[in-house]
Amino acid sequence: MKMLVTFEKAFRLRMIGHLDLMRAMQRALRRSDLPIRYSQGFNPHILLTFAAPLSLGHTGLREVMEVPVEGECNPDFFKARLQRALPPEIQLVSVRAVDDTHKSPMALLYAARYRADLEEVPDALRTALPAFLAQGEITAVKKTKTGEKTVDLKPMIHECSLNGNAMYLTLDLREESSCKPELLLRTLSDFAGVPLPRFTCTRLMLFAMRDLALIPLEDA
Amino acid sequence: MNEQQEAVFERLLEQVQKPARYTGGEMNTDVKPWEEAEVRFAFGFPDTYDIAMSHLGIKILYHIINRLPWGLCERVFTPWPDMGDGMRREGLPLFSLESRHPVRDFDIVGFTLQYEMSYTNILEMLDLAGIPAYARDRGEDDPLIVAGGPCAYNPEPLAPFVDAYMIGDGEDVMIQLCSAVREHKKAGTSKEALLKALAGIHGVYVPRFYDVSYHADGTIAAMTPNDACAPEKVERCVVTDLNGADYPETIPVPYTDVVFDRIVLEIMRGCTRGCRFCQAGMIYRPVRERSLERLIEIADRLEASTGYEEISLSSLSTGDYSCLPELIQSLMDRYQEKRVSISLPSMRIDNIVKQSLEMTQRVKKSGLTLAPEAGTQRLRDVINKGVTEDDLIRSVTDAFECGWSTVKLYFMMGLPTETDDDLRGIGDLAAKVTQAYYRTPKEKRGKGLRVTCSASVFVPKPFTPFQWAAQDTLDMVEEKQQRLREYLKIKNVVFNWHEGHLSFLEACISRGDRRIGDVIYTAWKKGCRFDGWNEHFRFDLWMEAFRECGLDPAFYAYRERPYDEINPWDIIDAGVTKEYLIRECEKAKAEKTTQDCRKGCNGCGLQRWKGVCACYENARHV
Ligand code: SF4
Repeated sequence: MKMLVTFEKAFRLRMIGHLDLMRAMQRALRRSDLPIRYSQGFNPHILLTFAAPLSLGHTGLREVMEVPVEGECNPDFFKARLQRALPPEIQLVSVRAVDDTHKSPMALLYAARYRADLEEVPDALRTALPAFLAQGEITAVKKTKTGEKTVDLKPMIHECSLNGNAMYLTLDLREESSCKPELLLRTLSDFAGVPLPRFTCTRLMLFAMRDLALIPLEDA
Repeated sequence: MNEQQEAVFERLLEQVQKPARYTGGEMNTDVKPWEEAEVRFAFGFPDTYDIAMSHLGIKILYHIINRLPWGLCERVFTPWPDMGDGMRREGLPLFSLESRHPVRDFDIVGFTLQYEMSYTNILEMLDLAGIPAYARDRGEDDPLIVAGGPCAYNPEPLAPFVDAYMIGDGEDVMIQLCSAVREHKKAGTSKEALLKALAGIHGVYVPRFYDVSYHADGTIAAMTPNDACAPEKVERCVVTDLNGADYPETIPVPYTDVVFDRIVLEIMRGCTRGCRFCQAGMIYRPVRERSLERLIEIADRLEASTGYEEISLSSLSTGDYSCLPELIQSLMDRYQEKRVSISLPSMRIDNIVKQSLEMTQRVKKSGLTLAPEAGTQRLRDVINKGVTEDDLIRSVTDAFECGWSTVKLYFMMGLPTETDDDLRGIGDLAAKVTQAYYRTPKEKRGKGLRVTCSASVFVPKPFTPFQWAAQDTLDMVEEKQQRLREYLKIKNVVFNWHEGHLSFLEACISRGDRRIGDVIYTAWKKGCRFDGWNEHFRFDLWMEAFRECGLDPAFYAYRERPYDEINPWDIIDAGVTKEYLIRECEKAKAEKTTQDCRKGCNGCGLQRWKGVCACYENARHV
């Protein structure tokens, strides 16, 4: 059996990197005394996968991870037990039990929704937004391991709206198509001809795609 | 921190290396309510988070203070220069990790003194906190600045800055000190009155109640109490029963990488070997063991509260613990299922139990570290390192047969009476270790032999039989390193050495007097901090500081001191007496060894204190 765990990584932990968070989770699982599974081999570690690493500096409200367990385990029991073993900065949102055959959240992941809180929004940026989105193609320069690559962001954007100083973004997050909020904001700022404003970013939710609609990843 | 400071802080976090050093929120660091606490203690470790969080003492005392219903303890470490400069630029005061309160809002700020080269970081922290460095410049509203730890045995170099020192084991005296502060706050008495009360606590040294005068040649003429509250000598504190002593049941679990990220079980305190260069071996006497049952109990609780994957056994000489194999076996049996590995860090080469080696390597195989310290039997006799070449070769052979192939050997250069033969001896010993490897059957030994020889520069330390010795000059050190490099040109042997400059400064400060405080202050003013970190160590600035203060570093490091000179640390009674240290020093000169005091008391001085040392034989319950 596998547990699909949805959790919040609080603002205070935004500078804790992905690997460190994973280790903290593993230790919490060890503290919880739940029937977790270990990898084989010389240096056994707890089996656990995160749907998508959270960038350094980001807060996450509904992050998803998958924890394989031995035998049967009641999700409510699992949630209560694990929560007790976690620091207050990591709160569990939900736990769901699925079969071992259930597709992993990593494979189901399709997109993510973010809120970018901008320190200030230059007027030029605010006014440029509709035109920016109305372009037939939104060209952006993406840095990759091998160099720079020009991509079209347009098909990756599901939502892009400004509400006061908060920008809500729903963007593709798949291996073959993904756009980080930083990239979008940088491209938008360039388009508006203003420097990129400072912002903090919260990942609100992860999505899977079912019947051409985005649904919460933990429900997929 | 107010909202505006939070915002500044968050922005700084995005600009510095390793921001997770500053954000707190780790497991088991739940914040106690600030308003409800009667005594608030900021525990300062003058180094980075990664170093500080690897230290056991801070975890013990953190737990002890937080367990007091009226006490609150939070941590504060030295911000790395990028952060420190940023805070200064932005006017952000030093704050605690847990609740992010400014450090100057605490009642007490305590520093643990683990190595002399962290002293400038204390001044850096006080400055960032907005607390005047010199005790004389602080007012009624400034926090009380206290210090403890091994370097506090010579409290004089930091005496101008510290209000009160706790000397010796901190478990009990810490509670007494906090209680005194609590009383003082309740009664609303003056700081002067508080300090007088503190001076009356066993193990507490309050520097301002002592006057120091000097001879024309710079040596100390007298150190005398200037107030009736101050004792002639301050006796160190000893926790006699480790089983009864408080030990944390929960410890903070860092998110980010720290040097020792695991459960540390202190299996015993003290060491009976009597190595003559070793300060720890002298100041942590007598040997006190924790019982197997107590250790298992502690391990269980810590494992449950931390989820760590590794437990390491710690003490000055783990191999001397009376039931080591049983302990390792029980821990391994208990935690097999949870995949917890057991590690033994500092091992002594003369009694490594092969069985223990085999057991621990089944779980995890790390390199073997041995410290023969000197290259010849003659010099090992001088320093009373009761280890023979046969012991060493037997130990490494055992290790090779168990599949090890990495060995680290630690040596010291510049020990008293050292000659070229002793340096050659280091090369010979390294060669013999490699031969022992090749003698081990191929199918037993691990692949890829690697012998690392490290040679540090001897630093004479207070309360050791070598406390009067002169350190080698920098030129001598350099020349000896050249020779050692030649002698260690052996296949599969790597030679590591350290620059002598740091050891030279360490020698100046560790045996320094009150006047050294001004040098430390001047050096810090010039920009010295993180002196223990190569990239920040500025020897030139330190030398300028000495010059400006009109002091000669050679006076402190290179001078052989006569027995009748008053040492700055003579104000402390560490347990071992001067008579004993002189006796040992003379035996060293005569190349005579002293037995392990487990085999019979050597009369080190501790026997003067009733009930402290059971002179081992009587106390031993096997
Ligand atoms: S009093 Fe005797 S037995 Fe005790 S530590 Fe000193 S020398 Fe060893």
